Amino acid sequence: MSFTIALTVEEALTALARGARPIAGGSDLVVGARHGKAPLPDHLVAIDRIDSLRTVTVDDGGLAIGAGVSHDTIERHPQIAANWSALADGSALVGSPATRHVGTIGGNICNASPAMDTGAALVVLAATVELASVGGTRLVPIGELWTGPGRTAVRADELCTAVHLPSPPAASGSAYLRLEYRRAMEIAVVGAGAAVTLAPGGTVAAVRVALSAVAPTIVEVDGLPTGDLAAVGEAAAALASEQARPISDVRASDRYRRHAVGVIARRAVLAAARRAGGESIAVPVNRALGIGAAS
Amino acid sequence: MFAMRDSWRTMSTATAPDSAPPRFVRADGPDKVTGTGRYTADLTLTGMLAAKFRYAGIAHARIARLDTTAARAIPGVFAVLTQADVPDVRYGGMVFDRTLFANEVVRFEGEVVAAVAAIDAATAQRAVDAIVVEYEPLPVVNDPEAALAPDTPLVHPQWQSYGASRQLVRDGNDASYASIAKGDVDAGLAAADVVVTSRYHADGSHAAPIEPRSVVAQWEGDKVTIWSSTQVPYDARAGVCDTLELPSNRVRIIVPHLGGGFGGKCGFHFEAHVAALARAARRPVRLQFTRREEFLAPDRRRESIAFEFETGVQRDGTITARRARLVIDNGAYTADAGFFSQLAAMHALGPYRIPNALAEAHLVYTNHQPSGSVRAPTAPQCCWALESHTDEVARAVGIDPLEFRRRNAVDSGVEGPSGQTYGEIGLQQCLDAAAELAGYGQPLPDDEAIGVAIGWWPSFASPSGAYVRLDADGSGQIVTGAQECGTGAVMTLRQLAADELGMQADDFQLVYQDTAAAPYDMGATGSQTLFNNGRAVVAAAGQVAEQLKRLAAERLEADPADIVLAGGVAHVAGTPDKRVDIAKLAAIAGGGELLIGHGSGAPPDAPELHGSTCVGDVSMAAWVAPQFSCHAARVKVDRDTGVARVLHVSAAHDSGTIINPIAAEGQVQGAVVMGIGQALSEGTRYDEQAHQLNPGLLEYKLQTAADAPPIAIHFVQIATPDAGPRGAKGLAEAPNVATAAAIANAIANVIGTPVRQLPMTAERVWEASLGGAAAAPTAPRTAGASA
Ligand SMILES: Cc1cc2nc3c(=O)[nH]c(=O)nc-3n(C[C@H](O)[C@H](O)[C@H](O)COP(=O)(O)OP(=O)(O)OC[C@H]3O[C@@H](n4cnc5c(N)ncnc54)[C@H](O)[C@@H]3O)c2cc1C
Repeated sequence: MSFTIALTVEEALTALARGARPIAGGSDLVVGARHGKAPLPDHLVAIDRIDSLRTVTVDDGGLAIGAGVSHDTIERHPQIAANWSALADGSALVGSPATRHVGTIGGNICNASPAMDTGAALVVLAATVELASVGGTRLVPIGELWTGPGRTAVRADELCTAVHLPSPPAASGSAYLRLEYRRAMEIAVVGAGAAVTLAPGGTVAAVRVALSAVAPTIVEVDGLPTGDLAAVGEAAAALASEQARPISDVRASDRYRRHAVGVIARRAVLAAARRAGGESIAVPVNRALGIGAAS
Repeated sequence: MFAMRDSWRTMSTATAPDSAPPRFVRADGPDKVTGTGRYTADLTLTGMLAAKFRYAGIAHARIARLDTTAARAIPGVFAVLTQADVPDVRYGGMVFDRTLFANEVVRFEGEVVAAVAAIDAATAQRAVDAIVVEYEPLPVVNDPEAALAPDTPLVHPQWQSYGASRQLVRDGNDASYASIAKGDVDAGLAAADVVVTSRYHADGSHAAPIEPRSVVAQWEGDKVTIWSSTQVPYDARAGVCDTLELPSNRVRIIVPHLGGGFGGKCGFHFEAHVAALARAARRPVRLQFTRREEFLAPDRRRESIAFEFETGVQRDGTITARRARLVIDNGAYTADAGFFSQLAAMHALGPYRIPNALAEAHLVYTNHQPSGSVRAPTAPQCCWALESHTDEVARAVGIDPLEFRRRNAVDSGVEGPSGQTYGEIGLQQCLDAAAELAGYGQPLPDDEAIGVAIGWWPSFASPSGAYVRLDADGSGQIVTGAQECGTGAVMTLRQLAADELGMQADDFQLVYQDTAAAPYDMGATGSQTLFNNGRAVVAAAGQVAEQLKRLAAERLEADPADIVLAGGVAHVAGTPDKRVDIAKLAAIAGGGELLIGHGSGAPPDAPELHGSTCVGDVSMAAWVAPQFSCHAARVKVDRDTGVARVLHVSAAHDSGTIINPIAAEGQVQGAVVMGIGQALSEGTRYDEQAHQLNPGLLEYKLQTAADAPPIAIHFVQIATPDAGPRGAKGLAEAPNVATAAAIANAIANVIGTPVRQLPMTAERVWEASLGGAAAAPTAPRTAGASA
């Protein structure tokens, strides 16, 4: 048993090389262990005091979020809310204020729950994940990060250090929505993130949609058309329902999830398009528009 | 009629007393809010061990082998107990169908098979895991309706040999059958213009108090002190005395602060297990439940009920007859649920004028967790089903649901469905007030609607006792058997004593929740604390008042009958200058005959019933000082997903006189939010083998603060015959009755059809809006109106 408190990335990487598992906020790892999901690892390295992992940088290249940045910071960051709104929507829905203060983006994506609330946003915003080890650093497209429920491409000796998001093109907007039965401490029944770029005249020039809680990992919807917004929204609904592979559990039946993910995907596209058109919709869009649990 | 100050405040009423009652902050509030309050789990005793239980983990099986040898051999283990180590005693509320530990057969997954006391919780858990139990599975009785069929296996094949209350009508899996009949229901239905039939099903749910239960036991010689998070210390004591065969003066139950109960901590729970462990281990022992245990092991969760209704109505909206049949899930043991059948039958008939009525209810054994009193047992589910049905009836004859209720609801001097003629009651005023607060009839967006429901709840008369004393420095002490479970009712006792003695509530301290110190009280159950213990405290304080008046009369040379106690002073009526401080009188008494009062007071008699026949009568059809309510909920439904959101609730209550408005409003707010949970998100799901699928707060979804809507409250305060002190009735349970029903009717108004299953989850609402293809195992037949 060992517990190492790392103050630098290098210290953390050394501990990882010796077989320790990273712990950031612990809101998945410790809670899961208490619920009997998996015992706590024998060797842990705490990364929550590494300052360099807790920075948010915006420059010409886009947005870089340290893996240790909390959902609370993301939710309240004005530039993230303005330009990478879907991510802010997702972080703002996590748990409660307490969960959002301890839970990190790195923990969220490395935990790889199919119901995670930042995943669909990161996919439609074309994120890249920075993974470091004592051997060096590599960049992995977010779509290649998750290999199954709770499984990732992150090697045991690797630390996720940052998530990079390119600056969206002009006339773009994004949104993440989830279906929820209550307005706090909820898990997505289904969720959808959408990023839309509008052409002059208001038609859709580009669109991406990704879904949460309807497959073993976050999945991106294939074959979306461009053009008329309403038609794109309808296509997103139909394709999301078609491509979802939901399960039945106590939260919902597969039949309901398949239906609902279409509704939510369409609403995500429409909300993203409104933002693309310059409309300011407060984060999280769930509350602002009364989606899921209506306002 | 009344003005809305703001949505969270009591409305002033036309009948309110001239001087508004004081709004006082309860004495235990700051402790609880700041975290300085101490609960059972905070107690540490020297040498204290940790207890853990081995649970069945299987819903129905014969124990083929039970071997604790390996567990006993683990270092740090002080005691391992099974049924073989405790007296062979069956206990229960009205049916003695249970033993402390499983006896040859386990009948639900949370049944305790063995208990361990060890040096710490981890060691105790290791020992629990080392106990060897082999089972021969028995057929699982998972469906209460099917359990009544003649060929279904019996959960208790020896049911006939069990001791039971004589009043109960029992037969095999039917642990308690009750019917209430009045008039000729067939003739009444035949005479109707329209007969509406409906089926509904309410899932079981949980009390889910914030504090998981905790019990600490310590022996000194042949006496045991037990600290327990119970709502009913005397009942807990009785359970310990019965099962461990001890006289009551050798068992002392103390309740530190209680972290909520909602009925879930009524009854006798594990106190005897922990006492037996402490005796065997010769050390104090603490049992501390996890949240999961809190969901699985207690014999107090809210029962599921299947309903069938048939109501005949004239075109003018007059109800001619109602037939109701209910099947209630008793679970594996009867706990305190024996009276549920008759109580549920009353709630299935509802507070309506019905000349011809027949309600029948069966309380049926299954291999589920036992049901027991959770906040207004049976009432929210029955009200939900009946009031949904009532809207169907109103719709069938084209009458507005509010108007339909105005015409058919009981009123002062009217005979109710069990043949009781009510004295002064305020139900009609509740209907008016809730509708007005809700803005009933206002234009709304097409995805919103208002639903209305009425409910009722009895006051429970019970013996109860208290002592009141004034010490030589003039400060007061109330020693009461009453239990504070968070309602604030015990806190209100200080106000009653103070008013009786012309003093301030702050002048009194409370000694409570200790069975060795105070006289009997039923506990925090049945909303009865203020009703019964209030009577006792008033009587006890009255004795002290008499003493004070005599003392004052001597000093002021007046007749004791002319002495007035007010503002901390005793004075002669009409001559305020002839006065003496009460503190001074207390000092005089401190040197002579001490100021000590004791009180109980006779509980009021049950009212008479006329023209009705009750089978399985357990005194639940004749209600002393009944409470009435009307709730109106404004709900928005997302038609595409079925997600319903409650935007506003108006709650109008006739609970008699309101003594502390802050406490009363708190009860209504909390109960309404609990009712929203029951309506939309709280429900226990079972798998095929009768395992709970959601025994935790992740998947058993309580409402959060973010979900709570504005709640407008109005109290109808009228003079009630046979009420408690100052005309108060009760209020802890009544506001939990009608909320889910009001929400149901609002949802039905939006989607055009009722949702026939509770909770009305988003998926069920969506399925209902599609035409009712609900894919649940208990899916009821669709119902409709037939002319
Ligand atoms: C009450 C509650 C409510 C919640 N609600 C939500 C919700 O609504 N939506 C949602 O998406 N999630 C929710 N969660 C889950 C959780 O809070 C989030 O996933 C959070 O972002 C996890 O971050 P963390 O820092 O706490 O992760 P940790 O628990 O510290 O770590 C999670 C996993 O990631 C690994 N890890 C952490 N950081 C790194 C890193 N930098 N590099 C490599 N591996 C790493 C850990 O080893 C571990 O396997 C909730 C949790 C709780 C307890």
